[in-house]
Amino acid sequence: MSESLDKLQNRILSDAKLKADAIVRDGESNADRVLSEARQKVQKEADEITAKAKLEAEAIRRSILSSKVRANRLKILDEKNRIVQEVVRAVENRLAGIAGSSRFDEAAQRFVAEAVKAVGSDQPVIRLGFRDAAKKDLDSVSKMVPKGAKLVFEQDPIDGLGGVVASDPEGRVIFNNSFRSRLERLDSRLLTLISATIFGE
Amino acid sequence: MSGIDAVKKIVETEGQARRIVDESKARAQQIVSKAHQEADMLRQEAISSAQEQREGILRDAKEKAESEARQSDVETQQLLANYRKLAEARKDDAANKAVELVLNA
Repeated sequence: MSESLDKLQNRILSDAKLKADAIVRDGESNADRVLSEARQKVQKEADEITAKAKLEAEAIRRSILSSKVRANRLKILDEKNRIVQEVVRAVENRLAGIAGSSRFDEAAQRFVAEAVKAVGSDQPVIRLGFRDAAKKDLDSVSKMVPKGAKLVFEQDPIDGLGGVVASDPEGRVIFNNSFRSRLERLDSRLLTLISATIFGE
Repeated sequence: MSGIDAVKKIVETEGQARRIVDESKARAQQIVSKAHQEADMLRQEAISSAQEQREGILRDAKEKAESEARQSDVETQQLLANYRKLAEARKDDAANKAVELVLNA
């Protein structure tokens, strides 16, 4: 009886130890799973943080560079514009002083002819005004105007730079052939020409 | 040994067995709990390291962009100087051509 009781006790304890070992193994296995899942999850989170940081970095880079590039492009445009405008002012000065040049007669005659033709009247009124141009300088113009035309010599240069303005007698049709008007009409071609000559573009 | 003593012994042994199992349960619980703590620590370390890496990436990007911006400034200054030189050399020619255009167009 004592022997079988011992066996029973041993069996009970042995079963309990087996069960206990299984429980601990289970716990260890759960712990491994917890750690493995945590590692995977945290790696994913870290990868996401890094990927997001790379996007943010690109945005920062673009923001710094694009504002700088834009500012520098503006500086370049401003400088080119300043240079072109300087040339335009030189052109205006040269045109304003044309009365003193050998080309004056030819230019004044052509301007008058163009203006008269544009107005298309038999009795055009032609106003001329050039800086530093005396009436005698305009004699050649007087000779080539149509018979019914009325020639008016202005004291001051027309539109500030000089030129010719023709109209019909009633003043309904007017053609402004002043240097200022010609500059305005040719604005885009002039800017292109000056820019191409200086910058080669 | 009397029957009653035998039953007592068995009851004691079963109690002992229960304690063994309960202890193992507590131990298993402790192991899992420690794993959770380790996982939390792991997470904190990895996230902190990723945040540091993020700061580094952003700092590098900013420094690189600022360096490129400085380079852009230098190139712009060179371009402006070149335009001024070209203008000095060619503005008379440009003005002549423009006057011709206004007179003859």
